[in-house]
Amino acid sequence: MVSHFLLMVLYALLVSLFFTLLWRRGRREQIKLFLQIFLGMVGGGLLVAWLMYPFPSGPPAPIP
Amino acid sequence: MAEPGSPPAPPPQTAPAPRPAGNLVVAVLSAWLLPGLGHFYLGRRLRALAFFLLVVASMLIGVKLEGNLYRVVPGQPLTVLATLGAMGMGFPYFGLRYGLHYQGNVMGPGYEYGTAFLLTAGLMNLLLVLDAFDIVRGKKE
Repeated sequence: MVSHFLLMVLYALLVSLFFTLLWRRGRREQIKLFLQIFLGMVGGGLLVAWLMYPFPSGPPAPIP
Repeated sequence: MAEPGSPPAPPPQTAPAPRPAGNLVVAVLSAWLLPGLGHFYLGRRLRALAFFLLVVASMLIGVKLEGNLYRVVPGQPLTVLATLGAMGMGFPYFGLRYGLHYQGNVMGPGYEYGTAFLLTAGLMNLLLVLDAFDIVRGKKE
């Protein structure tokens, strides 16, 4: 079973690699931007999850 | 001011215009048709391969998770934007939609994540189209 966290990390990995290759040329700059985007996405996701933790999830959303 | 009888002054030296990297229409169309093909056409072979792998990986993960490959739903105008975004992946979109008759599974546990991956694949390829456009126009190396 694939976890939410693993999927989030995978998504962040793909997106950060993509923008790193698209926007930077030098190896050092690429590593810096990759870490910024990747850690920003994963850390931001964990932060938002932590902030939402006290709130109840509520009933499931209706299926369209 | 030149004196009468003197030879005419030579025209001012101008820097030679940079040679276009490729044909704009071919680059943009190929970039849209297959992820990375535009960069391959423009001589960026390694980056083309990397972009192809990234976009296709995103698409395959979305399919594996049974995400929604957007199509226009009458009465829901936002699906037009989402469909255009997903169509950004070019041939793979039409191959999935009309060749493999792919349909997501709304009851699948990975439906929402898969939808995000599929839409992201389309949007990433649209950015590659713009990147190819900028390379041909000389705005980017």
